[in-house]
Amino acid sequence: MSRAPRVRTLLGLAAASVAVVALAACSSGAPASSEAAGDDEYGLVKAGTLTVATEGTYPPFTYHEGGAGDLVGYDVEVAEAVADKLGLEIQFEETQWDAIFAGLDAGRFDVIANQVSINPDREEDYLFSTPYTVSPSVVVVNEGDDSISSFEDLEGKTTAQSLTSNFYQLAVDAGANVEAVEGWAQAVALLEQGRVDATVNDKLTYLDYLKQTPDAKLAVVAETDPSESALTFTKDKTALVKAVDEALAELRDEGVLAELGEKYFGEDVSQ
Amino acid sequence: MTEWQLALDSFWPLLWGGISGTIPLAVASFALGLVLALGVALMRLSRNRVLSGIARFYISVIRGTPLLVQLFVIFYGMPSIGITIDPWPSAIIAFSLNVGGYAAEVIRAAILSVPKGQWEAGYTIGMSPGTTLTRLILPQAARVSVPPLSNTFISLVKDTSLASLILVTEMFRVAQEIAAFSREFLLIYIEAALIYWLFCLVLSSGQNLLEKRLDRYVAH
Repeated sequence: MSRAPRVRTLLGLAAASVAVVALAACSSGAPASSEAAGDDEYGLVKAGTLTVATEGTYPPFTYHEGGAGDLVGYDVEVAEAVADKLGLEIQFEETQWDAIFAGLDAGRFDVIANQVSINPDREEDYLFSTPYTVSPSVVVVNEGDDSISSFEDLEGKTTAQSLTSNFYQLAVDAGANVEAVEGWAQAVALLEQGRVDATVNDKLTYLDYLKQTPDAKLAVVAETDPSESALTFTKDKTALVKAVDEALAELRDEGVLAELGEKYFGEDVSQ
Repeated sequence: MTEWQLALDSFWPLLWGGISGTIPLAVASFALGLVLALGVALMRLSRNRVLSGIARFYISVIRGTPLLVQLFVIFYGMPSIGITIDPWPSAIIAFSLNVGGYAAEVIRAAILSVPKGQWEAGYTIGMSPGTTLTRLILPQAARVSVPPLSNTFISLVKDTSLASLILVTEMFRVAQEIAAFSREFLLIYIEAALIYWLFCLVLSSGQNLLEKRLDRYVAH
């Protein structure tokens, strides 16, 4: 019995099956050409379409109607109105908050519409449109907990936040120990179960929660100065940002932003 | 809306997320991963140092790093070298590579479990080594590898929930959407878990049928 033929057959089989997989992978994952997108003035991911990243799990800004219906929300409609003004189709890509900036950096989206607060850190890496939401951050605690009455009181306390959010930074800066969670629903659960002392979030999120859950036993004990949220772009998108700003200015003048605020919050939150 | 009503209303969207996302993702990845695993297993068994070295290295990387990182490298990392792959293909590639690493070891062990005498028997009746492998050894190895490979497949079904992090809408992503809207995340996640379980029950009974069928190939 000779060794050589067996080895050769084994090799042949091995090579063949690896080749099959490689082929299958290539044919299913034809790399999207990055050249095709670069031929319009805005440098869009997909020509003629504004590709928008949003969570889809952050009511009332971006969520699914009734839980499993269409994507709706204040930010979603603002983005739709902007795309409409620019004469572009719109395509939403839903992604988790913690991966949303990675996707923008990797050139998978043109813009993030997800209540991104403007802060100096982010301004180093990203471009922002003019703000479309102005609202304060709040410290939320359980009713009757009088040990926290300001951001300073968070020193040494435990809060629940999603990792890359502005609120996470606010809590850390205040000296809190931060537990990382997926979103508002989990943060509130931890708070109500007494496993964390507080959570920091957008005032509008809190008000919406009260509207949906009138018997919630939570209280706001502190507010920051209002922060501004804006559409977020990578640094190379100057032409697009300029066009988006013009669109937002028109939408503001026409009262569209105010209307959308009324629809989702009962008030204009755009200034 | 009562919790029961919510659970009831969520059932079809969740199930649909499973049928249109989770299952195709798992089946496609497992099929590709299995082909890859057979190749890697044979490389690992080969006497060629280079080939077995490559196979060892690949298995080591796949088994030694978090699946989430593997998904991220393919989806978020590749664009930096000019290769941008859509969410679905990215997920299938990552899961196939992952299955390839784990299943390769299962297949290697299964091949080695077939008694050496079976090779001799093949040569005695004039079979070439290649024929012996495909006609004699692999069928018997297949029977041995069904339980551990079923394990790999059932794990994969649940691992696909990670694809929600690279823009693939599968059952767990649907659960997150409903949970965010209703804020009843525990209820909805448990409901999704029950549907995963349902899928896995179906798969387990498939495993039993397959085992019975393959019993024919086992020398008694």
